[in-house]
Amino acid sequence: MVRRALLAAAALALAALGVIPPAAASTASAGQTLRVESDTSFSTFNPFLAYFAGDQQVIYGVYPLLTQAAENGEPAPYLATKWTISPDHLTWTFTIRSGLKWSDGVPLTAADIAWTYNLIMKNPTAGTANGSLVADFQSVTAPNATTLVIKTTAPESNVAYEATIIPVVPEHVWASRVKNLANFRNMSSFPVVGYGPWILTGYVSNQYATLTANKDYYAGAPAYQTLVIQYFSNSDAAVAALRTGALDEIDDLSATQYDSLKGVRSLGLYPTESNIWDAIELNTGARTKSGSKFGNGNPALADPAVRKAIALAINRQELVAKVLNGLGVSGAGYLPPAYPQWWWTPPASMYEGYNPAEANQILDKAGYTMGPGGVRIDPKTKKPLVFRFGIHSDEASDGEIAPYIVEWLAAIGIKVDVQAMSFTQLNSALPKGDWDMLMDSWNTTADPSYLLSIQTCGTLPQNASTPGNTDAFFCNPSYDKLYNQQLTDFSTAQRVQTIDQMQSLLYQANVDIILYYSDNLEAVRTAAVKDYFYGSPNRQGFYPIQTDVLNWQQAKPVAVTTTGGSDTGLVVGAPIAAVVVIALGAAFAARRRRTAGERE
Amino acid sequence: MTAASVPASGVSAASGAVEFFRYLAKKLAGAVLSFAVLLVIGFVIFSLMPSDPLEALTRGRPTSAAQLAFLRKQLGLDQPVIERFGSFAWNTVQGHLGYSWQFQEPVSTLIAQRLWPTLLLTGSAMVVSAIAGLWLGIRSGWRPGSLLDRGASGVSLTFWSVPTFWLGLILLVLFSVGFGPVPPLFPAGGMSTPGTAGGLALSHILDVLRHLVLPCLTLSLVIFAQYVTIMRSSVIDELGSPYLLTARAKGLRDADVRRRHAVPNALLPSVTVIFLQLGGLVAGAITVETVYSWPGLGYLTYQALQIPDLPLLEGTFIVFSASVIVMNMLADIVYRYLDPRVRRQ
Repeated sequence: MVRRALLAAAALALAALGVIPPAAASTASAGQTLRVESDTSFSTFNPFLAYFAGDQQVIYGVYPLLTQAAENGEPAPYLATKWTISPDHLTWTFTIRSGLKWSDGVPLTAADIAWTYNLIMKNPTAGTANGSLVADFQSVTAPNATTLVIKTTAPESNVAYEATIIPVVPEHVWASRVKNLANFRNMSSFPVVGYGPWILTGYVSNQYATLTANKDYYAGAPAYQTLVIQYFSNSDAAVAALRTGALDEIDDLSATQYDSLKGVRSLGLYPTESNIWDAIELNTGARTKSGSKFGNGNPALADPAVRKAIALAINRQELVAKVLNGLGVSGAGYLPPAYPQWWWTPPASMYEGYNPAEANQILDKAGYTMGPGGVRIDPKTKKPLVFRFGIHSDEASDGEIAPYIVEWLAAIGIKVDVQAMSFTQLNSALPKGDWDMLMDSWNTTADPSYLLSIQTCGTLPQNASTPGNTDAFFCNPSYDKLYNQQLTDFSTAQRVQTIDQMQSLLYQANVDIILYYSDNLEAVRTAAVKDYFYGSPNRQGFYPIQTDVLNWQQAKPVAVTTTGGSDTGLVVGAPIAAVVVIALGAAFAARRRRTAGERE
Repeated sequence: MTAASVPASGVSAASGAVEFFRYLAKKLAGAVLSFAVLLVIGFVIFSLMPSDPLEALTRGRPTSAAQLAFLRKQLGLDQPVIERFGSFAWNTVQGHLGYSWQFQEPVSTLIAQRLWPTLLLTGSAMVVSAIAGLWLGIRSGWRPGSLLDRGASGVSLTFWSVPTFWLGLILLVLFSVGFGPVPPLFPAGGMSTPGTAGGLALSHILDVLRHLVLPCLTLSLVIFAQYVTIMRSSVIDELGSPYLLTARAKGLRDADVRRRHAVPNALLPSVTVIFLQLGGLVAGAITVETVYSWPGLGYLTYQALQIPDLPLLEGTFIVFSASVIVMNMLADIVYRYLDPRVRRQ
C-alpha cells in the first residue's frame, strides 16, 4: 500500500515537474534577457589564451579593441577615434577616445593598450592567442593618455585590421596576473573588470556565461539588460530550445535544420554570406622547405593536367543544390564572398566549369590512356590512376559530397578510394603527406592575410617531422612575392589588385579545388527579438556577414505581449497529470482484486 | 597445526578476523597490481594515438614556428617518451593528474567539477532502472510466459537494442518541443535555466530536476533491460525449489512466498551487476551527456578526445578505471557477508 502510494506520488511529482513553468524563463521572456547559443564550449575567458570561438564571443563583448570590424568588415573606430600612417609606412599613430573608464571606475587610457600589446609581444604565454599578429611590431608606446604609437619593422598595411582582433585589458587588474598567466582562466571572480557593451557578471561551469549591459558604453548601452550565452553540445537540442523560446538566436544551422524551421511563425531565418570555403585539396608532392620529398602521395597529382581534369570533372553547382539545398555559392576564388572587397571571380577565359568531355581530352592528350575497368593508366608509373580521398567522418556534408566525387571522377577514368577519418586523424595525416585528396575547410576574418599566407612557401615544413601550416604543399615564388606586396599595399584598390592576382594563380594551380562557400544559416526568435540583423539581403536573399557583438548591441525586445507559454503548460499538463493518477488508481484497484482472488 | 583443525567455537571469531584480513590483503594487493598495470596501459594507449595534439590545438589560427616550439616545450612534448612516462607515473602516484592543455586547468579540478553532475545523472538513472528493472524482473520471472513477462521482456530488450543517442534525440524532440496536443514539458539541454539562483534554493533544485528528467529517462530506458533479464532468470531458477513448496504449504500468500523466500535467494547475480554499474557510474554516459548538453565527465572525455588532450584523457582514464577497481573490491567484501559460500572458499 505504502509502496504504491509512493509510486503514485513519484508519478505525480514527475508530471508536476513538466507542468511547473521554470521561474527564470518566465521572467526572462519579459524581454530583459537575450539568450544566444555559443559557438563552442567554454575553456577560458583569459583574452591572452582564448582561441575557441565560444570563448571569444564572450571576450569581445567584455573587453575593448583598438579598432573594430565595421559592418563591411573594414576597421572602424572603437578605442581609437582615428589613425594616421607616417610617409615611410612604418609608424601608425592612433588617437584614443578620452574620458573612458573601466567598469571599476579607473580611467581607460592609451597606457592600458600599450601595456597589453607589449605583454603580447614580449611574453610568449601572453602571445598564445594573438602573438603572431604583433610579430612585426617593433614598439608600441603611449606618449600620452590619448595617443598610441605603433612602429613596425617593415611596412604593414593590415595593422588596423589586426587591431580588430586583439582585446585590450586593464593594466591595473592584470599586472599582478602576469606571473601566473598560463593558469589564469578568468572564470571565477565576478564582475570581471573590463570595458565593452557588456560586463561579464557570471559563469556557470560548462553551461553558460551571463553578461550585463554596460550603461557607460560610449556607443550607448545595449537595449537588453542581460545577455546569456549558452552552450549546447547537440545542435538539435539548441534548435529545440529555440523553438520553445529558451533561446533567442542560433547560428551555424545545417541546411536540414534550417529547412525544418521554415514553417515556424515565431522565427525569422537569415542566411548570411559565407566567410568559409569547403575544398578538395590535392597533394602536389609533400616536401620540406629545402625541397626534400616525403610522404606517399600519388605522384600523378603533381601533374597540372591531372589536377585541371579533376577540377573540370566536378559539378560545383550541383553540390550547392544537393548538399547545401541551394544555400551557398559554388566555388571558384580562394577568398569567400563575405568580404566583397576581396571577392574574385575568374574571367571567362580562365573559368573551369563542369566539363567532363574537356577533362577527358586533357587526360588523353597528357598520355593517360584508358586501362582495364575504365581506369586510366599513369604513363610514368604505369599504374592505374587511383586516388585516396580523405573525408571527415564527423562532418555530415563530407559524407554527402564523397559519392558525387567518386562518380564524377569515374567518368574521366579516375578511381577514388574514399577514406573516412576523424578530424584529428585527418589533421595528423595532412602534414605527413600520406594522402592524395583531402576535404578541408578554412574561414577568414576581414583581413585575408592569414588565409593567403597558408599557401606561401614559408608554410612548408622545416623537416618531415615538424608540421608546417601548409594545406597542399603549394609553393610558388611569384605567389610569395605578391603576398609580401599586398602586405605593403596601403591603398585598398592596389591591395585588391594584388590579391586578385594571387587568387588567379591559385585558381589555375588547382591545388585547392574550392567546391563551395556555404552560407551561415541563422535563426532568430523574431516574436521576441527585433533589429537583430543589420544590412539588407542581396539578390540571392543572403544577408551580409554579421558580427555577434554588433547584433547583441542593436537587438531590441519586441513589446511584451503575454504569450501564455506557461499557461498552455498548465492547461494541457494538468489533464495529463490527472490521467496518470487515474490510470495508477485503476491499476491499483485491479491489483487488489487479483491478490484477493489469489488468497482464496 | 593448521587453523582448520581447531574446532572450538570461541576461537573461530578470531580466526575469522584473521581470515578476513588475509582475504582483504589479497584483494588489496590485486587492486594495487591492477592499478599499476592500468597506469602503463593508460599512458601507452594515449601516447600511441596517431595524431599530433599541437597540430589540432593550433589548426586554423595564426601560429609562428617560434610559438609552436614554445608550446611543444610548455606541454612537455619535446621530452623523450620514457621521461614523460616517468614523470606521469610519479605525478599520478602523488595524486597530481596533470594539467589539461585545452582547458588550461588542473585535470583533477576539471574532474571534480564534472563529477557531481555525472553522479547525479548516472546515479539517479541507476536507481530508477534498478528499481524498475528488478520489480519487473521479479514479476516476469514469477509468472514466465505471462502477458506481463512477454511485454516486459519485449519492451526492455527493444530499448536495450536502440542506439542511445537516437532514443535521446527522439525523447528530446517529443518532450522538449512538444507534439500534437502535448506542450513542451522539459528543457532541451543543460543542467539549469540561466538566471535562476544557484545553491540549495528550492527553485534551483526543482529546476535541476526538470533538466534531469529527460537524460535520466533516456539512460534508464536503455539500461533497465539488464536488471529485468538477470532478475527474471534467477527468479525462474528458484521457481521449482522445494523450499518454495514448503512456504506455500505453510499457507503463505503467493506474494509473500515471492517476496520473503524467492527474491532474497535470487538477488545475488543482480547485486553483481549493480556493483559493476556502480564502478562505471563516474564514467558517465558520453552519448546521453552529449545529446542533452549535460556538463558531466562523459562529455569531458569526448572533448578531450577531440584534441587529443593527453593529460585530461589519462586523468579521466585513471579515475574511471580506479573507480571500477575500488567497486570490484567492495563487491568482493560485500559478497562475504551476503553469501556464506564465499567465506568458506
